Amino acid sequence: MIKDDIYIRGWGAVTTLGWSASESAHHLIAGKVHPAGVCSSSHLTNRDFKAFEVAYSGNALEKSMAMLDASITEAFERGGLNASEIAESALLVGTTGGLFIRNEFEFTESVRRYPDRESPAIACRNRGPGEVADAIVQKYGIHGLPLTFSMACVSSSHALVVAAQLLAQKKIKRAIVVGFEPLLNLTLQGFASLLLYDSEQCRPFCNTRSGMQIGEAASCVILEEGPCMMKNKNNFMFTGGYLFNDNASLTSAGTDGELVKNVVLQTLGKAGIAPERIMAVKAHGTGTRDNDLSEGRGLAKVFGENLPPFISMKGVIGHCLGAAGTVETALWLSCLEEGAIPRSFGFTEVDPEIGFAPSQVNLPARDGAYLFTFFGFGGTCTSYIINKMYGTV
Amino acid sequence: MISTSNDQCKLKNPMPVIAASYLGPSLVPNRDAVWDEAKLPLNPDNLVQKIMGQPMRRAGRFIKLVCCGALTCFQSVPEATLQTQKVGIFLATGLGNVDEILPFITQVFKHDGGFPSPNQFANSVSNAAAFFLARICGVKGVVLTLSQEELSFESALWLAQSYLAAGEIDLALVGGCDVFTPTIEDYRERIGLKPGHYRMAPMGECSSWLLIGGHGEKKIGDILSVDLESSLKEIQKNSSDYLLTECERLAAGLLSQGVDQKISRLLLPGFRLSGIDETLWKSRGWDIDDYLPHCGISSTASAYGLARALSLRKATLIVHCNHHATGRQALVATVTK
Repeated sequence: MIKDDIYIRGWGAVTTLGWSASESAHHLIAGKVHPAGVCSSSHLTNRDFKAFEVAYSGNALEKSMAMLDASITEAFERGGLNASEIAESALLVGTTGGLFIRNEFEFTESVRRYPDRESPAIACRNRGPGEVADAIVQKYGIHGLPLTFSMACVSSSHALVVAAQLLAQKKIKRAIVVGFEPLLNLTLQGFASLLLYDSEQCRPFCNTRSGMQIGEAASCVILEEGPCMMKNKNNFMFTGGYLFNDNASLTSAGTDGELVKNVVLQTLGKAGIAPERIMAVKAHGTGTRDNDLSEGRGLAKVFGENLPPFISMKGVIGHCLGAAGTVETALWLSCLEEGAIPRSFGFTEVDPEIGFAPSQVNLPARDGAYLFTFFGFGGTCTSYIINKMYGTV
Repeated sequence: MISTSNDQCKLKNPMPVIAASYLGPSLVPNRDAVWDEAKLPLNPDNLVQKIMGQPMRRAGRFIKLVCCGALTCFQSVPEATLQTQKVGIFLATGLGNVDEILPFITQVFKHDGGFPSPNQFANSVSNAAAFFLARICGVKGVVLTLSQEELSFESALWLAQSYLAAGEIDLALVGGCDVFTPTIEDYRERIGLKPGHYRMAPMGECSSWLLIGGHGEKKIGDILSVDLESSLKEIQKNSSDYLLTECERLAAGLLSQGVDQKISRLLLPGFRLSGIDETLWKSRGWDIDDYLPHCGISSTASAYGLARALSLRKATLIVHCNHHATGRQALVATVTK
């Protein structure tokens, strides 16, 4: 995908840091962050897992739907979309759990309300991940093509690149890309079974890292074809994107960094941008031994001694799985709007096998190209570049 | 209510179909074989051994059927056709690997504190099947899993054509797979079969695939159009008259583009179409192929219907029609050599 004329019209996100991308960015830049904690939601059956939970006073199902609405509404308002523009947009959703939160909530409520009865079977009564798109289409009156990608951790980052591809071909006029991932017993227990958790803290790229921590999020990024020319405002252009599926390993991107290097070089090549023009890297940085090693080595191979600042956001919002792509993009854009490249959290010690540290201070956000990377289960890789330009393009 | 046709969702350039395969609940590839809803699901291990030459001990039925169905299609093409070609994989599924998810969640919610299996979790991740398929086929690059319970195969076909047109890939292996999971009542509920919203047929499963793209030297047919309409409801869309008018309009447009006027016309009704007036259709020169008895209802049954018709029919204009549960219509038009 090679394209210069795709711009980001709006974005929104609900994270553990706040109920909007703006609020989340404000807290992130101010350092008002908190570590993952034991979750309070009544639908979570195991209190051993620490996760990044979104604060809410109601029940988990209501919260999830409120998160989805808040992130989409923020994106629509930021982009100033009117009803007809919303209606003619395509909708691309990235999620792994879909609306499975409903099953988990109803089951646990039933057990809680009737403790003396035999517990009901937890049937997989939901349909599929496409239910999220159906709910959004119905609520907002979207007539464009809905597509749902359920591809583990790259679900919504892949959706962004596919959307850009379709926009570049003028197959669609505008894409509303949504990432949605509430906390689920299913995923918390699943990653625990793989022994991938750090029980203390998520420490991306740190020598002491020992695993990931899950976060929940809803997020939305709106891409549109055509040059954006907003005077006296930040313009964000989706300059290039690349998705790739490797078939060597189901669970690892290979620790030699070659796959990461190739994916990033392809992205730079498609965007026509030299490595030295990258202002900063929003790395995937899960905090697992393998991911961070492969990513660190891969980035070193691409940038050598001139590695730009690189940051993982997972130390403060957790790994939001299928929503990671859109939520980290939305949060990053709001940070840039506030004038800062945010610092990375959870790091204390350089890993000698990586040899460098993620950015430990907020840096001024200058105009230029920002690189995003995502790597997921099943050999999936996504990378893209967003160009920040103040004033007319 | 108003229905707005969305031109952005239409596909105009013919896509050559190089190969097609269809696998239904009988687990006999490319054949209409007898099966019984009450005896589903059948064990696919012999089929796996036969097609892949080795067992897939740790994989669930969904992954096995994805691989068996797709490989049947892929292996029917001479290796020379595939060499140096950049192949993309587009896996469409309605419910995905629900056969792995069900036992996993049962374990998660066990009252006595079950310990879920890591292997089961890994296989329950939605894109695991596409990974195994890519690995078996030696495909790297564009591998996408579209997971939506309605019209996912039609959407995957449309998306594959976009990637072919953009030159990102040379060939696309596009398929639909869904597996039967007991009980029948639960399965119906998961697919969203409400009274009046579907045609009476047994529940089933399928893994059916098309290899599309290339220059058409050895094609079995062409996909002429994938027409995915807007999501607004329109009540009269359920009428046989309305659909016939739509299909005739579509056929007229296609026939004016060089397709033989005397070509046979065939309607493949998807599982959400009911009340098709066969007499009316026949009086207007259309045959109807109700393929559901061969594969049963599943979210991606359209893949079976299209792959089967492309394999069996000669010199026929084929239109597959189905609806989203909310009323959005999807028409796929193909022509066979």
